[in-house]
Amino acid sequence: MKASSKEEEEKVEFEEGEIEYVSYGGEHHLPLIMNLVDQELSEPYSIFTYRYFVYLWPQLSFLAFHKGKCVGTVVCKMGEHRNTYRGYIAMLVVIKPYRGRGIATELVTRSIKMMMESGCEEVTLEAEVTNKGALALYGRLGFIRAKRLFHYYLNGVDAFRLKLLFPRQEVHIEASHGNNDLDST
Amino acid sequence: MADKAVSEEASMEGHAPKLASIPASDNTVWADATPLLEAACQGLTDGELIHGDNFNLFAAMSALEIMDPKMDSGIVCRYYSIDEAIENGVAPIPISLDSTVDVQCTIDIMDHLLACEAAWHTGHSLAQTVFSCIYLLRLDRTASHALLHSYCRVTRATCKAVVSVVSDARTHEEEDLFTMTYGLPLNGDGDEKCLSMLNTVEETISRQLRVCKAASSKRSSVDLEPLQSNPNLEEGFCKALLCRLRFRKRPQGRGLELARKHIASCISELESILNSAEFLRSCSAESCEDDIEDKTTASGREPIGFDATLNSRLSAPTPPRAIKILSWKKAIQYFLKLLRHLDVICSYSLDPNLESLLHFVVQFQKSQPDLVSRAHLQLLLVQDGKLYGRDPIFTVITKASALPEAAKNHDIQKNEYIVQLGQLVMNLLKILCTNAAWQRRKLGKILQDWRVIYVQLELAFRNEFGEASSSSNDENIRMKIFQHILVWVEEQTYWIAFRFLMLGFELELYSASEYCMVYWYLYAVLIKLAEKTHLKIAVSHDTAKRKGKKRKDSPKELARESRIPPVVLFLQCYICLAEGLTMMLAALRNEIMVLQSPSPFNTEQEKFIQHFELLQRACIPDHVSYPSFKESTTHARFSTLAMYNYFKDAQRIAKEVKSSFSNDPDRLAELRRLEQVAEHNSVALNLICRLGALDPSLKVSFEFSHHPFFATAVVRRS
Repeated sequence: MKASSKEEEEKVEFEEGEIEYVSYGGEHHLPLIMNLVDQELSEPYSIFTYRYFVYLWPQLSFLAFHKGKCVGTVVCKMGEHRNTYRGYIAMLVVIKPYRGRGIATELVTRSIKMMMESGCEEVTLEAEVTNKGALALYGRLGFIRAKRLFHYYLNGVDAFRLKLLFPRQEVHIEASHGNNDLDST
Repeated sequence: MADKAVSEEASMEGHAPKLASIPASDNTVWADATPLLEAACQGLTDGELIHGDNFNLFAAMSALEIMDPKMDSGIVCRYYSIDEAIENGVAPIPISLDSTVDVQCTIDIMDHLLACEAAWHTGHSLAQTVFSCIYLLRLDRTASHALLHSYCRVTRATCKAVVSVVSDARTHEEEDLFTMTYGLPLNGDGDEKCLSMLNTVEETISRQLRVCKAASSKRSSVDLEPLQSNPNLEEGFCKALLCRLRFRKRPQGRGLELARKHIASCISELESILNSAEFLRSCSAESCEDDIEDKTTASGREPIGFDATLNSRLSAPTPPRAIKILSWKKAIQYFLKLLRHLDVICSYSLDPNLESLLHFVVQFQKSQPDLVSRAHLQLLLVQDGKLYGRDPIFTVITKASALPEAAKNHDIQKNEYIVQLGQLVMNLLKILCTNAAWQRRKLGKILQDWRVIYVQLELAFRNEFGEASSSSNDENIRMKIFQHILVWVEEQTYWIAFRFLMLGFELELYSASEYCMVYWYLYAVLIKLAEKTHLKIAVSHDTAKRKGKKRKDSPKELARESRIPPVVLFLQCYICLAEGLTMMLAALRNEIMVLQSPSPFNTEQEKFIQHFELLQRACIPDHVSYPSFKESTTHARFSTLAMYNYFKDAQRIAKEVKSSFSNDPDRLAELRRLEQVAEHNSVALNLICRLGALDPSLKVSFEFSHHPFFATAVVRRS
C-alpha cells in the first residue's frame, strides 16, 4: 500500500524521549489512524479496510504521540501467502513537522519485531518509486527492491515491492549444497 | 449462517411478498428480513461487522463509501445522465449558429479528442478520456454536422481497432484498463463507412480551400458555399481542418512498405497540425500565452461537449482514478513517438534468424515504446503460432541451433519436448514485447521452464542414444539435431538470465550496497553464456566440416577456427567489466569499509537469496551460491587489483573486436560505451589503489553515466 513521503517542512522542536509509542488499543484509536492516513496518503481507503487490519492484527499496529497528539502510525497484517508466513506493512505515516527524527523507523521496527516473534519468514510492502524517504528508510532496515509494479497506484505511479527476508538456520546447509530442486523432480 | 436464519424465519412467518421476477421454489420462499436486520443491529457494537469467511483484504479494499468523492465513482457531479447534459445544452448541434465559431469549436473538439486518445494510450480508461466526449457518446445526433460526425466516427473506429490489437496481443494486466470498454458505444453501425465519409468531407474542404485561394486572385466561384463566413480566416481554417482530417485517413491495401509510407504521411500531417497552432491562437479571443503549454487544444480554449464525470461510474468497481488529460502539445509528441516506433517495427527485415530478432527487440525496447507499439510488434512477431506468421517454429529453432537447412523438415519436430520448446520460444518472444517491469518478472519465472525442458531433452537424448552407438544414417541425423538443440537451449537460457539481471538495473532494483553481488552473479552468468555460445559455434563448424569431408582443410580455415569468434569476444568484454566491478566493489568493502549495509533484522546472505532466488531455483548457473560469492570476494584487496587490472583487459578487447562489427552500428556503439566504462574505471581504480587506504577523505560513488548497467566509479575528495 503506501508510505507517505518525507519532505522537508517546518519542524517541531521536541526531544526524542517525549514521543510515546502505543500499540493499537481499540475503537478510540481508529479515528486518529484514519485522520493521519487520509491526510497524508493519496490512496483512498474505506473504513472496512482500516477495520480489517486493526481488528485482525491489533498487535501489529502502533501509534506515536507527542504531548497527547497523534503524530504517526503504522498499520500491518500477517498471514499465509504461497506457502510462506508473511508480514505486510499496509500504511506508515508520520506527519510532516515530525519527520526525519526516527519516528517512522521506530514504528515500523516495532511491527517488524512482532512479526518476527510471531513466526513470519518475511515482510513485504509497496512504496512509490518516487518516495525516496521511504525507500531509504526500508533500505536501512534490510529490505530489498524485489519487483517493480508498473502503474501500481491509482495516480499512475509505479511502485517497488520491497521485501525483508528473516534469516533461517537451515539456509546455510541448503545453500552450501546448491539447490537441487531439479534433480529431485 | 445468516441465510439459514432467514429461511427459518421465513418459514415461521409464512407470508411472502409477491414478486413476479424471481418466484419462490420448492426450497425457497420470500421473507421480510427487516426484523432480523433490526435484531442484528441491536446485537452489534461499534466496529463489528457480519461477514463471511471470504471477507479478505481484497473485499475490504473493494468496499466503497457512498458519497465519498475519493471513492464513490457513481457520485453525481453535474448531471445524472448524458441526456440530461444534452438537455442542458452541454453539447449543442450545431455548436454555434455563427459558422466561424462553429468551425473554431469543431477544431477544439478534434484537438481535445486527440489529447484524450493519448491519455488513454498512456494508462487511463477509455471511459474517462475519449468517451468523455458527449458527441461521441451520442454519435447519431451529429449526423447533420458532416465535419464533426465524420471525425467522431473515425476516432471511434480507430479506438476500436487499437483495442483489438492490444487485446489480441494480450499478455498481462497492463492491458486490462486499456481494453475495458463495457458500457461504451464502441461498436457503431456504419463505422466501416467512416473512411469514405472522411474522404467526402476532406474533398469538400479542399475545394473550399481552392475556391478561397482563387477568390483572392479575383476569380469567384458560385457553386460552393465557403467553410465559414469570414473570408479572411477561410484559408487558415481550411488548412487547419485538412491536416486534422488527413491525419485520420488510412490508405487502401496491406503490407509493411505501404504502412511506412502511410506513417510518413501521418507524421507530416502531425507537423502541419502543430504549425496550425499559431493561426488558431491568433483567432482565439482568449489569449493567455503563459499556460498554453497545459492546454488541450491548439487554440488554448476549453473544448465544448466534454464531461469526464458522466461515465465515471463505468470505471467501477475501482475507485475513480485521478485523470489528467495530456496537453495538446504532449499529445502530438506522444503520437509522433508512436509513429516513429511503428516505423521502426515496419522497417524490420523480418529476419528468420532468432538471434538477430532478439537483438532487434531488445534494441527496440531501449527506446521505451508504449503499450500500443509494443502490442503491434508482438502481433507482427507471433502470428498463428509461426514467426511473422510465416516461419514454422521448428525451422526457427533449427536455424538458431546452427543446424543445416535440411533439418527443418525432420520428423523429430513431433517429439513432445521439441513441441514444448517451440511454445517456450513463442512465449519468450511475447514476453520480450511487454513493459520492462512485467518482462523481468516473467523472464525470472520462465527460466525454470527453460531449465526443465533442457533436462527433459537431455534425458530423451540419452534414452535414445545412450546404449549402442548407432549406425543408421537417420539416427545420426537425429543425434546431431539433439546435440545442436541442447547446446542452443543452454545458451538461450543463459541469455534470458543475463537479460533478467540487466533489467534489474533499468528498473532500479539494486541499491549500491548490492552492486557487488549483482556484478558477481552477472559475471557467473556471462561466463556460462560465452561458453555455450562458443560451443554452439564450434559444434556447427564441426557439422559443416564433416559435411564437406572431401575438401581439404586449408591452413586459413584452420586458423579461423582456432580464433575466438567475435561474438564470444564481445561477451568477454562484458565478463571483464563485471569481474572488474565485482572486485573493485569487494575491495572497497573490505578495505575502506564502504558500501556495506548492516541491517538490524537480516544479513547480506538474505539479500543474496532474495535477489537471485529465481536463478538459484533453476540452477543457473550450477554450483553458484552465497558461500561461493563470499569465497571469491572476501580476499579482494587493492594491492592485488593494482597488479591485475580487469578494466585494462576489457579496454583491449573492446578495441580489438571493433573491426569485426564494422557493419553493426548498434554493437559498435555498445563497444564504445564499454570502452569508456573500462577506461574511467581503470583510472579510478589506479587512484584508489594509490591513495585509498591512506586517504580517509576519498569518497567513491558509482554512476551510470556511460552505460545503463555497467557502473562508472567516481572518486571525489570530500
